[in-house]
Amino acid sequence: MKLRFPWRLIRRISQLLFLAVFLFLFRNTDYSGSDEIPYAVNLFFRWDPLVAASVMLAARQFITILFPALIIVVLTLVFGRVFCGWICPLGTLLDIAGKFIKRHENVNIRLPYIKYVLLVIILVSSFFHLQLIGFFDPFSLLVRGMVFTIDPVFKFLSDSIFNLIYLHAPDWITSVSEPGYDFFKSFILPYKQSYFRLALISFVILLIIFLLEKIDRRFWCKNICPLGALLALFARYSTFRRKPVRICSKCTECETMCRMNAFDEKGFMVTEECNLCMDCLNDCPQKIVRFSFIRPRNRSPINFSRRAFIQSGLFGAAFPALSSVSIFNKVPQPNTLRPPGALPEKEFLSMCVRCGECMKVCIQNALQPQFMENGYEGMFAPSLLPRVGYCEFNCTLCGQVCPTGAIRKLSLREKHRFVIGKAIIDKNRCLPYAQNTPCIVCEEHCPTYDKAIKITYTIKNNSQGKPVELRLPYVVNNLCIGCGICEKKCPVQGHSAIRVISDRYIPDENMTGAGYG
Amino acid sequence: MDRRKFLQQVALWSAGIIVMPPVFRITPDLFAGIISSPKLVVAEGKNYTTLVVKALEPFGGIAAFVKQGDKVVVKPNIGWDRNPAQAANTHPLIVSSLCSLALDAGASEVKVFDRTCNEERRSYNNSGILSALEKIKDKRLNCTYIDRRKFVPIQIDNGRSLKEWEFYKDALEADCYINVPIAKHHSLAGLTLGLKNIMGVIGGMRGIIHQDMGQNLADLNTVITPNLTVIDATRILLRNGPSGGRLKDVKVMDTVIVTADPVAADAYATTLFDMKPDAIDSTKAAYKMGMGEMDPAKMDIIRL
Repeated sequence: MKLRFPWRLIRRISQLLFLAVFLFLFRNTDYSGSDEIPYAVNLFFRWDPLVAASVMLAARQFITILFPALIIVVLTLVFGRVFCGWICPLGTLLDIAGKFIKRHENVNIRLPYIKYVLLVIILVSSFFHLQLIGFFDPFSLLVRGMVFTIDPVFKFLSDSIFNLIYLHAPDWITSVSEPGYDFFKSFILPYKQSYFRLALISFVILLIIFLLEKIDRRFWCKNICPLGALLALFARYSTFRRKPVRICSKCTECETMCRMNAFDEKGFMVTEECNLCMDCLNDCPQKIVRFSFIRPRNRSPINFSRRAFIQSGLFGAAFPALSSVSIFNKVPQPNTLRPPGALPEKEFLSMCVRCGECMKVCIQNALQPQFMENGYEGMFAPSLLPRVGYCEFNCTLCGQVCPTGAIRKLSLREKHRFVIGKAIIDKNRCLPYAQNTPCIVCEEHCPTYDKAIKITYTIKNNSQGKPVELRLPYVVNNLCIGCGICEKKCPVQGHSAIRVISDRYIPDENMTGAGYG
Repeated sequence: MDRRKFLQQVALWSAGIIVMPPVFRITPDLFAGIISSPKLVVAEGKNYTTLVVKALEPFGGIAAFVKQGDKVVVKPNIGWDRNPAQAANTHPLIVSSLCSLALDAGASEVKVFDRTCNEERRSYNNSGILSALEKIKDKRLNCTYIDRRKFVPIQIDNGRSLKEWEFYKDALEADCYINVPIAKHHSLAGLTLGLKNIMGVIGGMRGIIHQDMGQNLADLNTVITPNLTVIDATRILLRNGPSGGRLKDVKVMDTVIVTADPVAADAYATTLFDMKPDAIDSTKAAYKMGMGEMDPAKMDIIRL
């Protein structure tokens, strides 16, 4: 018996390898001791053709950092959706999860056209500057779920266990557990415990994707994934295909086993659905399945009618139209503080793919996903919450990991001058003003070389009625960059006595804004 | 062992641990009497590594402070994400020199840490201290980030303003605590010197300390009293402290001040800024509590 080349094994190794790369890059999306991150940690977004297409459409220009997407396009034009089967970490995780999830036997839901609908809606609406990709791009969903939920929970549980041992176990146990903990901390755990808004919702979205495996294998990939849809369009021209192109008349084994449902009613291969998992090659009872370069010829039309295409296109245009009359175009949100280097608000929101990389890398856990503060259009986009964490003066990491340029990569010099917002002192809360108590923690921490918080001196009676010299802080507006360290460090409980407010200007098209008398 | 017995054992075992928190009774020897004229060395030199060695010579070298087998803590100021030239943190060479000396003197371990104001990894790296200490290849030397679990509440028996605060366990357990602050301007405290440097080994909400800073700092120093204070005045920050940043606010002095008297150290360092020792509230408060000498005229000052 001739041994067949173990293509499936190779595919599995490739999947695990890329999953390992993905996890390695995820873990290294962090401060590493130098100002620059040495790896292209945002690689999976930069070679995502869906990200490239929608961001370039929104920006209406070519964006060089997204050119790695061409590699995947060329790969797909030659080999088909090999990305889905061999590379995509979400696909790999679904394959792994699928092994443990018991499928419902009697449910048969096949909605392959949905992914094309979503693809068209995303691309058309991004052309009109509404970026919806964050709700559907597989990497955005996966990375956000990992950043906001899985990684922090993993850290929390590990720390809890080791802390319990540290605090309550006898010394001889601690002497073993602590070195283990140190090793764990150095190589596996994230450096810091982080806390995020929208942790639950991000997890639930991810959970649903995995639970869809109960209906069918790779349900997400076959029916919903808009990146899969985009790659499927390219795959129709691919030349590396399966032979025979039709299932055999007696044996339908390959159709039954196919995780991608890549056969039509007549039994013809639907190339754009095949992710080249090589199951049919390795498991063919007749051993006649081969993959080789052949002239591309598609026997069945794409699973997407012209009518559906036009309808989705209209939807794609309707959403931006609806958004253009939302209140957020008129009133700037005072608490929306975009990361340092962020483009002007509208461009920022249209180019941000909600990948969560900036929030992952933020060393003060300061960048948090927004919920509905700027409408659903801004959901999951990053905003600085200074009371949670402030923007570190010498840190430029968020601009380094942003895969689309929505956050520009700033030089240290630019960073020191980039205005995120402006600090405003609340004299009703500020200790020297409101309680005649010395403080000025804000001034102490203010990082600008010429401090944006300065002091005036005054003498007032303290709580015992004795006169004390007080230093009163005030903000020099044009020096303030809105890093928020003052708001974070302010010892006043509850709302800080100094708060950073957005000073982003939203052009008022009707000229009805701040009036001149 | 049946279930009942097992549960009883577990309950007793954990109750025992919970009821008895670690107790640190560190009675400062302060009230035993002040050394009449504390020895204080002011040394100048361009080579900061040898400068420290030179400044310790009048005391008989580091061996006067570090005994064989001692647990040593070297506590620099690593508070800020600033580089050495910006004079917001202790100079890395001063720190590494002290650590080498302590190791050579036979310390069983030397720990270096600070609770930073900026992000700790950035501060440890940018200050140059982490890389300077990595060059000393010795397993006894540990430069680590603060471990939140190690803050323990301590009664401040002699405190006049503060009665209880959290302190870092490693600092409390040290046989020899070497305080290595940088001398620099501080808008509230006037200057930040040795006594203020204790802020890096306390837990809790440190902003509250600012509300009666002078007395609070003196109180905190009764819990951990440095055996040796080395004030880094190789370059001092004249304005815009404590974080600074501008090089024009920095004055290069190439000086270190070494003494066993924490109050004398601060008092003398104040004069480098053309200020009187009593301009600093914490120095005054600590002097009043009998923690040391603040009149330079009553110190045994040796200039090298």
